[in-house]
Amino acid sequence: MKIFFYKAIFIFFLFLLGFHFSFNYTSKKLSNFVNEKISKDSIEVIKESIRAEIKSAIQKDEYIKPEDAKLINQFLNKIRSDLEKNK
Amino acid sequence: MKLNFNKQKNTYLLLLFYGVVLSFVYLNIRDFGIHIEEKFHRLNGHYWLNYIATVFHFENLIEITKIKINEISDYSLSNVSYYNKYGIIFDLPMSFFEILFKIDDVNKIYYFKHLFSFLIFLLSSLVFYRILQDRYENFFLSFIGISLYVCSPRIFGDSFFYKDVLFLSFLTFTIYFFLKCIRNMSFNNVFLLSLFTAFSVNLRFFSIIIPFILFFVIIIKSFYLKNFKYMLKRFSSYFLLFFIILFITWPYLWSNPIINFFEIFSSLNKDLIDVKILFNENYFSNRALPDTYLVSWIIISSPIFQNFLFFFGFILYSLRICNRFFKIQSYSVYNDLWRGKREETDFVLFIFITIFYLLFLVFNAPLYNGWRLVYFLNIFFIYFAIYFLNYLKIKLRKKKTYENLFFIILIFSISLNYYSIVKYHPFQSLYFNNFFSERKINGFEGDYHGIGAKDFFERIIEIDDDKIINVAVASHTPLHRGLEALDVKIRDKFNVVGQEYHLAKYIYKNNISEVNSYINKKYEVPANFSKIYEKKIGKLIIYEVFQKD
Repeated sequence: MKIFFYKAIFIFFLFLLGFHFSFNYTSKKLSNFVNEKISKDSIEVIKESIRAEIKSAIQKDEYIKPEDAKLINQFLNKIRSDLEKNK
Repeated sequence: MKLNFNKQKNTYLLLLFYGVVLSFVYLNIRDFGIHIEEKFHRLNGHYWLNYIATVFHFENLIEITKIKINEISDYSLSNVSYYNKYGIIFDLPMSFFEILFKIDDVNKIYYFKHLFSFLIFLLSSLVFYRILQDRYENFFLSFIGISLYVCSPRIFGDSFFYKDVLFLSFLTFTIYFFLKCIRNMSFNNVFLLSLFTAFSVNLRFFSIIIPFILFFVIIIKSFYLKNFKYMLKRFSSYFLLFFIILFITWPYLWSNPIINFFEIFSSLNKDLIDVKILFNENYFSNRALPDTYLVSWIIISSPIFQNFLFFFGFILYSLRICNRFFKIQSYSVYNDLWRGKREETDFVLFIFITIFYLLFLVFNAPLYNGWRLVYFLNIFFIYFAIYFLNYLKIKLRKKKTYENLFFIILIFSISLNYYSIVKYHPFQSLYFNNFFSERKINGFEGDYHGIGAKDFFERIIEIDDDKIINVAVASHTPLHRGLEALDVKIRDKFNVVGQEYHLAKYIYKNNISEVNSYINKKYEVPANFSKIYEKKIGKLIIYEVFQKD
C-alpha cells in the first residue's frame, strides 16, 4: 500500500509537469502570438501606419510614376468598360 | 527576585529588536501613502457590516453603515455587491472599530488600519520565531530568521497595506498550528488549526488546499504510526470545524452556503482581471505570463543574499528528500521521508511551497503587480535560507576562521536590509535590489499601489499656490484615491481630470498601464508638456511630473 501510494504521488507529479510543459506551454505560446498579432492594440498600429503612409503620400509632389499612373488608368478603364458591358 | 542577565539576554535582544522596529514604525507611519485599493476595502467592510446589521436587525448600525457606504462610493470603485467574494476577516472588524471609536477623518482611518495590519504581521513574526526555535533550538538562527522575516524590504513595506502580507501573517499562524496538530491532534490544536485555516481561506481562497495537505501528511505519518483510524477521526473533526468556522466568519456564505461556496471556484476564472502587464521590458497578457514571471520577480526584488541562501537551502533539501524518496522500503520502523520532529517540519514546509508553486504554475494563475499575490512564499524563502545557514554552521563548526568570516558576511548582509528599509522609506514595498541595471528595473511594474500619489500632491503644493490645480494621469492609476492621505484643505485644491490632458496643468506618470504602452498611445504625454520632476528611489522611477509649457 505504502509503495503504491508513493508511486502514485510520483506519477501524479510527473503528469502535472508533463501537462504543464506540453499543453500549458503551447496554449500560452499561442495566446501570446494571438495577442501580439491580432489584438486591438496591433490593429491600431496597422491603422496608424496606413494613416502615416497616406499623409506622406499627400505631401509628395509625385507619389506614382507617370508611366505607372498611365498603366493604372488604362487598367481601371478596362475594368470599367467590362463592367459596363456586362451590366 | 534577581534577574540573571545571561539567562534573559535572548529575551532582552528580542525585546530590543521589537522595540526598535515599533519605534521606527510609530515615528514614520504617517509617511506612507494610501494605496489604491484601500477605498474598496473600507467599502467592503461597511457593506458586510450593513449586511450583518440587517440580518440581526441592528437598526442604528444599518443607518450608520448606509451613510458610510454612500460617503465612500466613488465612480471608479468596483461594485461590492458584485465583487462580494473578498474576505472580511480584516475589513469588517476595522469598519466596526471605525464606527465604535467614531473615527471620522478618512486618513486617520487608513493609518489606524495600517498600524493594525503591521501589528498582526509583527505578531506572526513571533510565531515564525517559535517555528524556528522548535526546529533549530538555536537563538542565533531564529533571531536571524525573524530579522529577515520582518525586514525584507518589500514585505516590510507591504505589511501596512493589509492585503498580501496580511495573508502571509495568517498563513504563518496556520503553519504553526499545522505543525502542532500533526504532532498532537488534541482538540485545542485541531480547533486552532481550523480557525486559522478558515481565516486564511477567507483572505485567499486558494488556501483551501491546506486541508488536503494535512490529509496527505496524515497518510504518510500513518504508514509508520499505524493509527490511521484515530488520525482520520481527528481529521474529520478538523474538516467539519473548518467549514463551520468558515461559514460563521464569512457572511457571503450565509444566504446559500453550498451554491455560494462553489461559485467562488467559477469566479476565480471569471472575475479575475485580464490586463496587459509590463514584465521584463515587454507587455504580456496576465493570462499568458511566461513561466519565468515569478522567479524573475523574486530574484529582482528580494535582497540578493537572501535569494542565494534560499536557493542553496531549497536545493539541499530537495536533494535530501529525493534521496529519501528513492530509498523507500515497503517496511520500515521509521518514517521513510523524514526522521524526527525537526525533519518533519522541513518536510511540511517543503510540501507547502512545492504544492503552492505547482498550483500557480499548472493552473496558469493570472498574476499581476509583480509577485505580491505570492508574498506569502516569503515564509518558505526565509525558512529554507535558515536551513542553509544551519547547514553551513554545522559544516564550519571546526573551522573557526571561516566561521567568523561567514558570521561577518551574514551580519553585513542583514544590515543591508535595514539600510534599504531606511533608504527606501516610505517606498519599501517598491524595493528592487541593486544588481540589475536601471533600464531592467524600470522594465518591471513599479508603483502599482499608487502610494507615490501622496508624495506627488505634496510636491505640487510646494511649487504651485493656485486655488485649484488640475492634474491629469498618464497611467492606469486612480490618482484621486491618493488624495485621502492628505488634509481636507489640501485635498480640495486638486481636481484630477483623468486622461483629459488638455484640461491639466500637470501630468502624473508612472509605468503602470493596462494596455501595451509601446503601441497604444493612450498614456502618451502630449508634446506641449515638459518634465519638471522625477521621483526616483534607488534605480526605480516611482513617478514623473510634467507641466504644461
